[in-house]
Amino acid sequence: MNAIEVHNISKSYGKVKALDDVSFTVGKGEVFGLIGPDGSGKTTMFRILCSLLCPEAGSATVDGFDVVRKMREVRCRVGYMPGRFSLYQDLTVEENLKFFATLFGTTVEEGYDSIKAIYSQIERFKDRKAGALSGGMKQKLALSCALVHQPSVLFLDEPTTGVDPVSRKELWAMLGSLKERDITIVASTPYLDEVRCCERVAFLDRGKVRGIDTPDRILSEFADIFNPPGIEHESAGKVENENVIEVEHLVKAFGSFHAVDDISFSVKKGEIFGFLGANGAGKTTAMHMLTGLNQPTAGTGRVAGYDIRTQYEQIKKHIGYMSQKFSLYEDLTVAENIRLFAGIYGMSDAEIARKTNELLEQLQFTEHKNTLVKSLPLGWKQKLAFSVSIFHEPGVVFLDEPTGGVDPATRRQFWELIYAAAARGITVFVTTHYMDEAEYCDRISIMVDGKIKAMGTPDALKKEFNQPDMDHVFTHLARQATRSGD
Amino acid sequence: MTLKYLIQKEFLQIKRNAFLPKLIVMFPIVIMCVIPWVMQMEVKNIVVDVVDNDRSTGSQQLVHSIEASNYFIFNGQKTTYKEALNEIERGKADVVLVIPQDFAKNVAKGLTPQVLIAANAVNGTKGAIGSAYLSQIVMANALPSTAAIQSRVSTLMLYNKHQNYKLFMIPALLAIVMMLMTGFLPTLNIVGEKEAGTIEQMNVTPVSKWAFILSKLIPYWLIALFVVTVCLLLAKLIYGISPAGPVWLVFLLAMLLALFFSSFGLIISNYSDTMQQAIFVMWFFVVCLMLLSGLFTPTRSMPHWAYLTTYVNPMHYFIDAIRTVFIRGGGFHEIAHQVWALLGIGLIMAAWAVQSYKKNS
Amino acid sequence: MKQFVSFIVKEAKHILRDKRTMLILFGMPVVMMLLFGFAITNDVKNVRTVAVTSQMDHLTQAALERLSRSEYFTITATVATPQEAEQMIRSQKADMAVVFAPDFASKQSGVQFIIDGSDPNMAQQWMNYAQGVITNMQGGLVNTKMLYNPQMKSAYNFVPAIMGMLLMLICAMMTSISIVREKEKGTMEVLLVSPVRPLLVIIAKAIPYLVLAFGILITILLMAHFVLGVPLAGSVLWIIAVSVLYILLALSLGLLISNIAQTQLVALLLSAMVLLMPVIMLSGMVFPVESMPKILQWVAAVVPPRYYIDAMRKLMIMGVGIGEVLKEVAILAGFTVVFLTIALKKFNTRLE
Repeated sequence: MNAIEVHNISKSYGKVKALDDVSFTVGKGEVFGLIGPDGSGKTTMFRILCSLLCPEAGSATVDGFDVVRKMREVRCRVGYMPGRFSLYQDLTVEENLKFFATLFGTTVEEGYDSIKAIYSQIERFKDRKAGALSGGMKQKLALSCALVHQPSVLFLDEPTTGVDPVSRKELWAMLGSLKERDITIVASTPYLDEVRCCERVAFLDRGKVRGIDTPDRILSEFADIFNPPGIEHESAGKVENENVIEVEHLVKAFGSFHAVDDISFSVKKGEIFGFLGANGAGKTTAMHMLTGLNQPTAGTGRVAGYDIRTQYEQIKKHIGYMSQKFSLYEDLTVAENIRLFAGIYGMSDAEIARKTNELLEQLQFTEHKNTLVKSLPLGWKQKLAFSVSIFHEPGVVFLDEPTGGVDPATRRQFWELIYAAAARGITVFVTTHYMDEAEYCDRISIMVDGKIKAMGTPDALKKEFNQPDMDHVFTHLARQATRSGD
Repeated sequence: MTLKYLIQKEFLQIKRNAFLPKLIVMFPIVIMCVIPWVMQMEVKNIVVDVVDNDRSTGSQQLVHSIEASNYFIFNGQKTTYKEALNEIERGKADVVLVIPQDFAKNVAKGLTPQVLIAANAVNGTKGAIGSAYLSQIVMANALPSTAAIQSRVSTLMLYNKHQNYKLFMIPALLAIVMMLMTGFLPTLNIVGEKEAGTIEQMNVTPVSKWAFILSKLIPYWLIALFVVTVCLLLAKLIYGISPAGPVWLVFLLAMLLALFFSSFGLIISNYSDTMQQAIFVMWFFVVCLMLLSGLFTPTRSMPHWAYLTTYVNPMHYFIDAIRTVFIRGGGFHEIAHQVWALLGIGLIMAAWAVQSYKKNS
Repeated sequence: MKQFVSFIVKEAKHILRDKRTMLILFGMPVVMMLLFGFAITNDVKNVRTVAVTSQMDHLTQAALERLSRSEYFTITATVATPQEAEQMIRSQKADMAVVFAPDFASKQSGVQFIIDGSDPNMAQQWMNYAQGVITNMQGGLVNTKMLYNPQMKSAYNFVPAIMGMLLMLICAMMTSISIVREKEKGTMEVLLVSPVRPLLVIIAKAIPYLVLAFGILITILLMAHFVLGVPLAGSVLWIIAVSVLYILLALSLGLLISNIAQTQLVALLLSAMVLLMPVIMLSGMVFPVESMPKILQWVAAVVPPRYYIDAMRKLMIMGVGIGEVLKEVAILAGFTVVFLTIALKKFNTRLE
C-alpha cells in the first residue's frame, strides 16, 4: 500500500488556481520532495494532505485514509511542520518541546534520539524563553518540536529556512535514519543539496506537476530553473581604499552571556562583505549594533564615518537595512511601500514618482504596482524589500538573511540586484546560510560563538583551510566550534 | 516633510483593515442613536402597593392622588403588609405604602397618624426619590398646612428647564465615545507593529521620534474630529439638542481630550509587549478615569481623598467644561481653567509618549 | 488525558507569565470595589449654595444656619441679587442659590431656589432636601423604611453590577484573544493537525480562565463582605453556583468572538469596545431597564449580564431563596447552551 495517494487534486483561491489536477503517490518509508518556485502550490498541497484544507476536486489518501472524510484518523497519523511554524514565545525552550511532545502523545525522553542532532545545539538555552532566541535557533526548536514524535507520515514545509549549513546536514542525516523506521517523509525545500537527499521529487510549477522523478533527473531536466549559471562578477577594481565600516573589539553582553565577543573588522567602500556564522553565533546582534538598534557593551565602531555609540541617528540616514523578518508593510501596496520609505528619507513627491516607475520597470513589477505586498510570493517581496532599502542610495546596506526560503532562480536575480548596487558604489553587508552565495562575496568572515574565526576572500579561505569549497570551509569551522562549545 | 508620508501610511493601514473603518464610522452612530434612550436615570414608573387599613374616604383620596401622579404606577391594594413585601421580593413592586387604621379620623383630630412607606432601597437613588415623592403626596393630603408652606417655596431650574436627562447625558456620551475611540485604537497601534516586526525597520530609518509619534497621533485626532461632528449632528437631528454655548468650544475641548487619550494610548503601547497586555492596562485606566470624573455621579459627593484625584483627571476637567458649554451656555471665560488644565496634561502626555518610544536599546 | 492536562498547564503559564495582565486582572476588581464602595456616591453632600438676600434679618439667618448645619449644603457666598447668583452657577462656582424675598421675615414666605438643573436627578434631590430643611418639615406623619439597604449605600446596588461586568469582560476578552492569537501566530495549524480533538483544545483553553474568573469572583465577594460591609444575605453556595454558570456563559461568548475575529486587533476591539457598551448600558447596571423605551427593553432582554445582575441583587442583597431567581438562572443556562453550541459548531477544524 502506498503511504500517500493523490488523485487529480485541484484547489483555487478566488481566481488563482493554486493546484491544478495534481496526482502523485508516495511509497511507504520513502523520502519524497516537493519542489518548485514560490507560489507553486506546495504549501496548499501540504495543507490538503494534513486535512487542513478541502480540495475542490480530486481525492487524496494518507496511510489509506481519505483526507476529507477521515479527518481524525489522518490527524492521528501525520506530523506536520508548517512553513511558518510558530512557537509559544512566552514559554521556555524546554516547555515548548515538552508541550508539543505531550500534544502528540509522547515524551521528550522517548523522542530524544530523533531530535538529538538538532536539539543538542539549543539544549543549553533550554530555560530561555522562545521569544528571546535568534531566528535560526527558533527554527531549530520548531524542528525539534515537529520531530519529537514519530508519526507514520511526516510533512515538512521548508523546514530548514534560516538554518545554518552544518545543522541542515545533520537534520537530513537524521531524516534518513527515520526511513529505517518506515516513516514516510514529504518535504519541500529551496536548497539543492537537500533536494538531492530525497529519493524522488515532484516538481510543481504554478499549480501543475511538471515532472516526478529522481532528484538528479529532475534537476538536470529543469536545470535552467534550479541551477542557473553562476554570476560573473569581477571585483577588486572598483573597491576603493576607504573604510566604510570599522569595528574594533566590539562586545555585546546580555547578562553573563556574550552574544558578540570582541570582534574587529573593517569593510571597504563598494565591497560585498559576507557575514557568515552558525545560528546563534551573534550575527544579528552585531548587525543591530552597526545599524544603531542596539548599544554595544564595549568596543568602538564607525559606520559611514559616524560613531555607533553616539551618532547612531546620523548613521541611520546613510544606511539601508533589510531585516530577517519581512520588513515591508504587508497591508500596503508595492507603490505605497516605496513611497513611504522614500518619503522618510526626504525625497520629493516628483522624485519618488519618477524613481518608482524606473524601479518597477527594472524589476518588471509595473503591473503589480498596486498589488498588496501581502499577496506577493516571498521571492518577489524580498527583491522589493531590497530595492526599497537602497532606494535612497545609502552608503551601506545591511542585509540580514535576505534570501532565506527563496528558490534558486529568484536568488540569482536577487544577487544580480546586489551586484548592480555594488557597482554603483553601495557597500553591501550581507548574512546568508547559502554557501553558493558566500562565494559571490568579495570578502567573508565566519563567526562562531560570538567571535570571528576566519576572514578573507573566499579563495583565500579555501586555501587556508585546505577545503574544496565554502561549504566545507564553513562546516570545518563550525564543527570545530560546536566541539569546543560543549 | 517625512511626516506627510508617515501619516499617509497610517491612514492607508486603517483603511485596509477590514474592521477598523466600519468600527470608526458605525460605533459613534450606533452609540448616539441608542444610548441616550438608555441613559434615563429619571426615576419614573415607580410601582406602588398600598395596604389600606383605614378604608375611609380620606384614605381613598390619598390613593387617588397617588394614582393620579405620573411618577407612580399604582399596582393595587394588598390586604397585608406581608403580602406586599412578598411582591417587592419578587420584583413586582418598588414601594409599599401602609395607611394605618383611623388615618382620616386622626388627621381630622389634628393627631399625626403613622403612615409607613417601605421602599426597596437596593438601588439607593430610586428608593430615596421614590419615598420622598410619596411622602410629599401623603403630607400634602394629610396636612393642608404644609401644602400651603410648600406652595410658598418656588423653584427655578436653570439651564435644563425641561429636566431633560438626555441633555445632561449627551455631552457625557460624547466624552465616552471620544475616550473609547481615541484611547483604544492608538493603544493597539505601536504594540501591533512590535508584534508584526515592522517597528524594527522603522527604527533603522532616520525618522525622528517626534515625527513618528506625531504620525501616530494625528490620524486619531482627525478621527476624533469626525466623531465629534457626527455626534453633534446626530444630537441635533435625533434629539433636537445642540450646545447652548459656542460650538467651537465643544470642538476645542474634544480635541484636547483626544490629545490626552491618544498620547496616553501610545504611552501604554510603548511600554507593552503584547496587545493583550496593552488593552488590559488601558481598560483599567479608562474605567478609573471615567468613574472618578463625575460623569455619572457628582464629584462633590466624593470623600475628600477621592476628590483630590479629580485635580489630575483630565476626564473630570473635560466633563465639567463640556457641560458648562453644552448645557449652561458658558463661554471661554467660564471654562478657561479647565482648558488650560487639559492642555497642560495633554502636552505632558504627548511629551512622555515621545520620550517612551525607544529607537535604540 | 495527559495531553489535556499539559494543555491546561501551558495555557496557565501563558497567563501567569504576563505579570502586568495578571496585576490588572486582580487589581481591577479590588480598585473598582474600593471606588464604588468609598468614592462614588449619589448622595446629596456639600452642595455649594449661594444665599441671596438683601437684608440679613433674624429669620433669614436662622434659615441659613439650618442649611449650613445640615451636611447636605455648604453656604459658599452671600450675594445681593439673583443675577449674581446665576453668574456664579454658570461659572461653576456654585450649584444652587436660595433667594429670600425682602419680606421673608414678616410674612414667612417667599423663598425661591435657583438650581443648576443640568443633572435633573440631582437637581430634584437638592430641591427636595432644601425644601425639607428650609420649611423644617420633620413631622412624624410619615415613617419611611428603606428595605434591604437601610443606610442607603450605593455599594449594595453596585456590587452585583461590578460582578456582572468584570466577569463578562475578563472571561470573554481573555478567551477570545487566546484563541485568535494562536490563529494569528500559526500555532493553531499544528494544534489542529495533532491527534488532540478540537473540542478538547477549546475546553482546555477555557479551564484556566474559569479558575481565574473564580478567583476574581471570590475576591469580589470577600471585598464586598469584609471591606464594604455588604451582607451576603442569601446562600453563598447558590451565589457561587449562579456565578459559575455566568462565567461559563462569558467563556462561551469569548469562544464565539474568537470564531468571528481573524486578528487579535479585531478580537480585542470587539470585546473591549463593542461588547463593553451593551454590558454597561443595557444591563440595568447603571440605568434601570424599566425606564428605557420598549424597543430597547427588547434589546436589553438579550443582554445576558442583565439577568445575572438581577439574580445577584436578589440573592445577595435581598436574600431571597434560589426559587425566586429560577427564571434568571434558566435564561442564563439557555444563553450558555446556545452560545456554546454555535461556538462549537462554527469552530473551524480546518483552515477555511
